[in-house]
Amino acid sequence: MFIKNFLIRKELLSEYRNNTSLFLITPTMAVLVLVFPILSENRFVVDDDFFIINQLLFLIIFTTLFSIRNPLNQNKLIRELNFGNIHRSYFFRFKTLSEFIIFFPQALILLALFSLFTNTEIKSSLFYIIISVIFFSINSIMVNVVFQMFTSFSNRFVQFILMVPVFMSLSFFVAPIWLGINPNLTNIYLLMYLGISILISSYTSWFLQKDLK
Amino acid sequence: MYYLKVKNLTLGYGNDIVIKNLNLSLKFNTNYQIIGRNGAGKSTLLDFISNNFQGNFFDSRIEVERIRILQISNKVTLIENLSLMENCYYFTHEDSISKESISLILEEYEVHHFKDELIQNFSSGMVKRSELALAQIINPEILCIDEPVNYLDNEGIEILKKLLKKRTDNKKSNILSSQESLDVFEDKYEIIDLNVY
Repeated sequence: MFIKNFLIRKELLSEYRNNTSLFLITPTMAVLVLVFPILSENRFVVDDDFFIINQLLFLIIFTTLFSIRNPLNQNKLIRELNFGNIHRSYFFRFKTLSEFIIFFPQALILLALFSLFTNTEIKSSLFYIIISVIFFSINSIMVNVVFQMFTSFSNRFVQFILMVPVFMSLSFFVAPIWLGINPNLTNIYLLMYLGISILISSYTSWFLQKDLK
Repeated sequence: MYYLKVKNLTLGYGNDIVIKNLNLSLKFNTNYQIIGRNGAGKSTLLDFISNNFQGNFFDSRIEVERIRILQISNKVTLIENLSLMENCYYFTHEDSISKESISLILEEYEVHHFKDELIQNFSSGMVKRSELALAQIINPEILCIDEPVNYLDNEGIEILKKLLKKRTDNKKSNILSSQESLDVFEDKYEIIDLNVY
């Protein structure tokens, strides 16, 4: 069977029972989103400097979201995959898919809350917003999974420090799309995201295949 | 017929060598017991055999046949925030065995009352019994058990003996590791003594 339901089911159940689940973190982050502009500017409406604040907020939100996820322990993961006779490339693909199922609605909720609480209109079309959030989520998740699969850092602080630059660069690309820049530029940004996605997934596939020989 | 042949097997972690120049050939349909003192490399060798070894290989010649090898180690392999039944579905990929057959086997291992409990609430003995039950459900070609009697009570040891007997009768192999030779196999077995290396 092409779709490995058991992998997706396991990830969703684990997430549901996780104490640091995104389902808990998102409301917490929403409070941050609400409080941050008030603290930084002492007002709700953000106008000219929206670009900088947007990036800062998303940087804080996404790094926090990922750094408080349950880290994968490489030794434990390999034991688990061998015990269940699960191919590592299947695990990578379906872990990414399940994380996406968890993360995508959260990203949309955050975006809506951000817009609502800061009284900021997002100027892009719905299509561009959805596509950019999909690319942003997939890339962030793949980087996170690859990073956790191939390193033995189980310390959340180290993870946080190492992953900040990755999410920073990804959020630099996504913020202008939400701001509603020139459609041609938006297309270029989306193509860049597509390129990054292909690069990460092909590198991972190659790495996992090579490792099995 | 052999499923693993190694010459001058040298394994270690970082620069520390744990097993040095070990020659080993493992046959199908044969039971083994790996014995050795603390630090002799029993768990490392068992990890290597079951493809779970995460350290360094030094200049070793390895010939291996790809078969299903399942390891029950001293660490919990089951997913701790899933229930026992969910673990069974996960590790058997949901479709290879019926719910009734799984329940019957769990009953045999006396863990069926806890099948809807999360593994994180299990005692070490219950985890070990559950992993043995899963080993019977999965029924791999080779079953490796590290310190097999740890955490098991007398009843648990009897269950373990029954499992090993059933597997031996079905021409499946078992590899156990412990400090001393254990009286758990009813049939003959070979000893791999790491104290001599």
